[in-house]
Amino acid sequence: MLTSVERFMGTNFRLLRGKMAIAEKVEKVKKNKPQRKRFKPILYLGLAPLFITLGLFSYYPAANGLTRAFFDWRFFEPSVFIGLENFRTMLGDDMWWESFKHIFIVFIAATTIMWALPLLAVEMLISIRSLRTQHILRTLLLFPLAFPVIVTIYMWGFIYHPNRGILNTALQAVGLDSLAQNWLGDPNTALYSLLFISFPWIASLPFFVFLTGLQNIGTEVFEAAAIDGCSRMKRFFLIDMPLLGRQFRLLFFLATISVLQFGTSGYVLTSGGPDNATMFPILRIIGVAFNGGDWGYAATLSSTLFILTLALSTVILFISRGEKQNVRSL
Amino acid sequence: MSVLSKPNPRVRVNQRRKTEQRILIFSLGFLAFLGLFPYIFMLLTSFKNTQQFVDSYWGLPLPLSFENYAAAWGQTKDYFVTTFIVVGATIAATLLLGLLSGFILSRFVFVGRNFLFTCVGLLLMVPWIAALIPLFVLSKDLKMLNTIWVLIVPMIAGNAVLSVILFKNFIDSIPQELFDCAVVFGASGPQIFRYIVVPLSYPIVGTISLLTMINVWNEFFWPLLTVTDDSLRTISVGISFFQGQNETDYGALMAGYTLASIPLLFLFTFLSKHFLAGIQGGLSVSDK
Repeated sequence: MLTSVERFMGTNFRLLRGKMAIAEKVEKVKKNKPQRKRFKPILYLGLAPLFITLGLFSYYPAANGLTRAFFDWRFFEPSVFIGLENFRTMLGDDMWWESFKHIFIVFIAATTIMWALPLLAVEMLISIRSLRTQHILRTLLLFPLAFPVIVTIYMWGFIYHPNRGILNTALQAVGLDSLAQNWLGDPNTALYSLLFISFPWIASLPFFVFLTGLQNIGTEVFEAAAIDGCSRMKRFFLIDMPLLGRQFRLLFFLATISVLQFGTSGYVLTSGGPDNATMFPILRIIGVAFNGGDWGYAATLSSTLFILTLALSTVILFISRGEKQNVRSL
Repeated sequence: MSVLSKPNPRVRVNQRRKTEQRILIFSLGFLAFLGLFPYIFMLLTSFKNTQQFVDSYWGLPLPLSFENYAAAWGQTKDYFVTTFIVVGATIAATLLLGLLSGFILSRFVFVGRNFLFTCVGLLLMVPWIAALIPLFVLSKDLKMLNTIWVLIVPMIAGNAVLSVILFKNFIDSIPQELFDCAVVFGASGPQIFRYIVVPLSYPIVGTISLLTMINVWNEFFWPLLTVTDDSLRTISVGISFFQGQNETDYGALMAGYTLASIPLLFLFTFLSKHFLAGIQGGLSVSDK
């Protein structure tokens, strides 16, 4: 039996011991700040599900694609190593190289006019004084983003429809019958028609990036410019554009990656035609693999595209890193 | 009189500003209308039967006919079921992998930590098209073609990358003191995960769920190539099949498009903050 005093002392002691233990642990945690790297099996076990999934469905296929590029690889036949034979075929593959011409046109459009209109909209939007109006307009401008890509593509397919389409019907309604044509069926207009999908391109990533970029600049800069009598035009070229440099580089990087994978609309609306006018690399790869059955050659094509993407994005990242340092040194 | 007839310069400036603002609002409103016009047209046409479509191309003739929706729903409801199963499974797995791996990579120091994280990050640079062909063959070898698994598992692998990176960056930003405190009070790793990391990560959970949902909803080539069973088609591929079935029945087609858009529209309307963050999701990463 403990007396009440002893019991009190005891709890106190226990408390004290507890406090000391805590202090010790705090010390330990603090000391451990530059922690020693350790090999803890449980952690690797925790990471295992992720790396098993990625390994099987990301790393392995990518690596397999790179090796199979050197094989003659068809279903139900043993694959044979043929060295650079597939690459030789690729050099003579006119459809493949033509698809890069189309991609180049897409890239030019994606980095000029598809930036200009969103930028214009952003400049107009941030010039509106009422924040509520700004918010409503922003939501309305971005609303098309909420629609599934496939719906957008098919609606634009309907716009271009030769007989019942919105574009031709509208042209006929205002008496411009001569301009009405088979937009997607004519090799001269098909590619540009695909580019015009979701015009005016405001519900897009560039719009976001420019908007957050300009909103992060801070009103002081703009106010200072206004006090110094800087006109809106001048402000755009001398303040907004230079301060958006980082955003432009980021978008350039993203455009490079996404444009090389461009092709859903081409597949859905024109299947690469008419007369291969909307042939894109991805459509060529799918065609070679699924229609031609030449999986080795398809692997060659997709590996080439992969390495091209990697090379381009590395170059762009490298360049933009260099520029970033220049900015900091000011 | 002479004073009154001369306009006050200040008033004039204000007046000019007001007209300027009106012009801005009007032009932006027009641009918004231009962007939304195809969808408005889609909605209007979805309520017209064939005769009404011929009679009144631009207008909205009454009475509204809902039979287009009945027809479209009958043909597309399987696609919705499949897509929701795929979306649900993918989101659950992506979140789980992202939270657990993000936590481990962010809060523990162990051999190979940076190397493993770089390995994950590298996958952001790999375009999915590079792996498309071998991935198809792998799925074929694993006998996954034409099953629901071929839709789910590669989607998980694809979406987990960004999920891990976003979770890791987010958990990095939780103050170290919080974890010190938990360690002092004797919390174990799993307890810290359960009571600190998971509850604090709710905002990013929302963003990643929406991002994954949008990705799965819009994925086109993969389900197109791997699934031939009609009931296993996801919505994007299903809609293109539906298009082929109703080539000239524009009312039914547009009713189908509208149905396919409703879930994403719903999310955009009620969770627009997460929705927009989800669309921007990749940016915070490539920014660095």
